[in-house]
Amino acid sequence: MEQNKNPLSPHLQIYKWQISSLLSITHRIVGVINIFAITLICLWLLYLLLGENNYEILKVFFNSLFGKFLIISLCWTFSFHILNEIRHLAWDLGYGFDLKISKITGTFVLVGSFILTILFYTMGRNFI
Amino acid sequence: MHTSTKKWLFEKLSSLILIPFMVWFLINFVKIYDNDYQQIVEFFSEQPSKILFSVFIVIAYFFSALKITEIFEDYISNDKIKNVANKLLNIFAILIPLITIIGILKL
Repeated sequence: MEQNKNPLSPHLQIYKWQISSLLSITHRIVGVINIFAITLICLWLLYLLLGENNYEILKVFFNSLFGKFLIISLCWTFSFHILNEIRHLAWDLGYGFDLKISKITGTFVLVGSFILTILFYTMGRNFI
Repeated sequence: MHTSTKKWLFEKLSSLILIPFMVWFLINFVKIYDNDYQQIVEFFSEQPSKILFSVFIVIAYFFSALKITEIFEDYISNDKIKNVANKLLNIFAILIPLITIIGILKL
């Protein structure tokens, strides 16, 4: 099989960083993190099959500060991915291509992801 | 229809379907993650969470496999390595949800 000589993209070292490129690469990284997290959740679920006694160690982990940090981080990665995916779907429908609008929606995604994180966490914990 | 068009349509449809499932799962996961063993088992073994979680992981892995293929396309230049990576990705995207769903049924 002949080696493909086409240049690889995106050229992360060459691009000048701006909100659009920042969100684009973050979207990819966060997507990979999310599927990795879902895989860990699947393993966590399978771990339940080992019985109640074996589960205690995971309960201790989830109740630790690091455990809670991971849950909140997961809230952010999910929130970011949801909002940016909606932005991508809007683009697919032909909306928001204008450079100014694109920058505004990009900023909205970034700021909104933190607000949504707080909202998801507080809803899950029954604070609201 | 061209294969790439089909792939794009599947990608967009699965991402649209995935959004409400992500919201549902995240709120419920935050609710139960530090609960007792019995409460967590109840959550995953009772309806509607049993079916909703199963559908969620199937769509999530389907969508991820499509998106990660794009990442391989962008960053792996060697076609042989790319093909192996894509095959492994597809096996992974089928096996993990399948094993998890079997696990849910055994809970």
